[in-house]
Amino acid sequence: MSTQAGSVREYFSALFDAITSTARAMYVTFKYVWAVKPVSIEYPEVREVLPDRARMRLFNDVLNCISCTQCAMACPVDCIYIASEKMPEGAEIKKTSNGQAIRLKLTQFTIDTALCCYCGLCTTVCPTECLTHSHDYEFSQYTVDHMKYDYLAPDVIAWRDRIVKS
Amino acid sequence: MQSRWDIGTPERPTINSETEKLKTELLTLNMGPQHPATHGVLRIEIKTDSEIVAHAIPHLGYLHRCMEKHSEHLDYRGVIPFVDRLDYLAAMSMEWTYVAAVEKMLGTEVPRRAELLRVMTAELQRIASHLVAFGTYILDLGPQTVFLYAFEMREKILRMFEEVSGARMLYNYIWVGGVWNDWTDEQLKNVANFCDEMELEAKKYYDLNSSNQVFIKRTAHVGVMTTQDCFDFGATGPVLRGSGFNWDLRKNQPYSLYNEFDFDVCVGTGEIGQVGDCYNRYIVRMNEVIESIKIIRQVLTKLEPGSVMGKVPKIIKLPKGEVYMKHECPRGELGIHLVSEDGGKTPYRLKVKSPCFTHISMIPRVAPGQMIADFVATVGSTDIVLGEVDR
Repeated sequence: MSTQAGSVREYFSALFDAITSTARAMYVTFKYVWAVKPVSIEYPEVREVLPDRARMRLFNDVLNCISCTQCAMACPVDCIYIASEKMPEGAEIKKTSNGQAIRLKLTQFTIDTALCCYCGLCTTVCPTECLTHSHDYEFSQYTVDHMKYDYLAPDVIAWRDRIVKS
Repeated sequence: MQSRWDIGTPERPTINSETEKLKTELLTLNMGPQHPATHGVLRIEIKTDSEIVAHAIPHLGYLHRCMEKHSEHLDYRGVIPFVDRLDYLAAMSMEWTYVAAVEKMLGTEVPRRAELLRVMTAELQRIASHLVAFGTYILDLGPQTVFLYAFEMREKILRMFEEVSGARMLYNYIWVGGVWNDWTDEQLKNVANFCDEMELEAKKYYDLNSSNQVFIKRTAHVGVMTTQDCFDFGATGPVLRGSGFNWDLRKNQPYSLYNEFDFDVCVGTGEIGQVGDCYNRYIVRMNEVIESIKIIRQVLTKLEPGSVMGKVPKIIKLPKGEVYMKHECPRGELGIHLVSEDGGKTPYRLKVKSPCFTHISMIPRVAPGQMIADFVATVGSTDIVLGEVDR
């Protein structure tokens, strides 16, 4: 310590101060034994309800996607890979849920979630609002390659009901 | 004449002599890169003479992410998530500084409600940041209870931010031209409740820690940074104010709407300890929490319904020029120097002047002659975030 008690009296007054101030602090902490509810959540059993706007894993509803690549342009870390080709001639032109015609056939829509920084810029530019942040936060994998999610894969499409915000 | 290279016959080392036994040398000790006192990855190479520090050399660069260079390849909106990651404990303040620089170049008018919400979020963020500074500082010195109390309150702020922006720490909430989402009345009510709660909590912290004699003995008269030292190194924020100099950008060069609010600048008084020591830097932060609550309450009375997003072109192109914007962030003055080419979609150069970098450079000045335990207290009291230092 840089300050040292000069005399015996100072020494004992400092000792007294230390005991009283520590007792006051102990009184504050003692209240926590019964009077305050615990704030911690026992995670796997009890889950926190996330707010509506919570930004977790990205999910693309490929049935509504018009392959405009605006999300890939807006992405600051370039983690969205999109490929599309012309619709075969004579195919019927489907429409998205908000009435836009799907003129291109989406052949690849992959998001590298290991690269994603969860900023939410891609979801704000999406014209059909098919790219959204889901509330799914448990998607750890053993390798980095497994973090690339192809949203055209049948098993991911099968998750749709579970992942898409209602 | 004796040659320079002729050193003569060397003396036979006397192994058993008394002087040989008592030979002393400085011990090199690496603190870090994973030391809790550094809030990140900072390595301080210290040369100690038994327990007294002789030199301390901070080694930086463990968290370097090329943020400045990377942002030269991003559009102006895309830089915001990267600016978040500068000081991840006060991301709102970082965003605001960058966005204010872009808006100044663009000449955008920000709606009043958005500007008020920015003030409110920045002040809430200041409280959250000071709570981390407070909690972890005391964790460095020994007690662990206070840390949990501080983080419990911080979590309430982060929850409010998560409800409005969608993320706990890296918000991407303040956008060019306004803010992303509006706060609902219910969320604003939560803020008002939080202010009441925080005021009670601040009193509790005083009883728990600030008035504790053991804590005072540990921090008072330790690591004194004089006002002249602060001027020499360019220190700002709580470090400068703790050394007794009254300087706060919110008061001295008011930006945004800060001239409308009534608040005091907290300065270290030296009532306990002496001006410029660890205790005064600490108590400045604790008092600033109270002042931030004052500002938030005034914002809540002034808020009126309205738009939160101004008119901004879809693709932001700035005219040729440069701007330097500085804001009072929780850790000091953050400066953003933005240079743009004519009609460029990306910044030509983005330079960040970080307050923590200047504070870290003050450590070699203060360290010599301290005990190692006091040295930990000194490093902790400057409240460094390495994300901002290394960028």
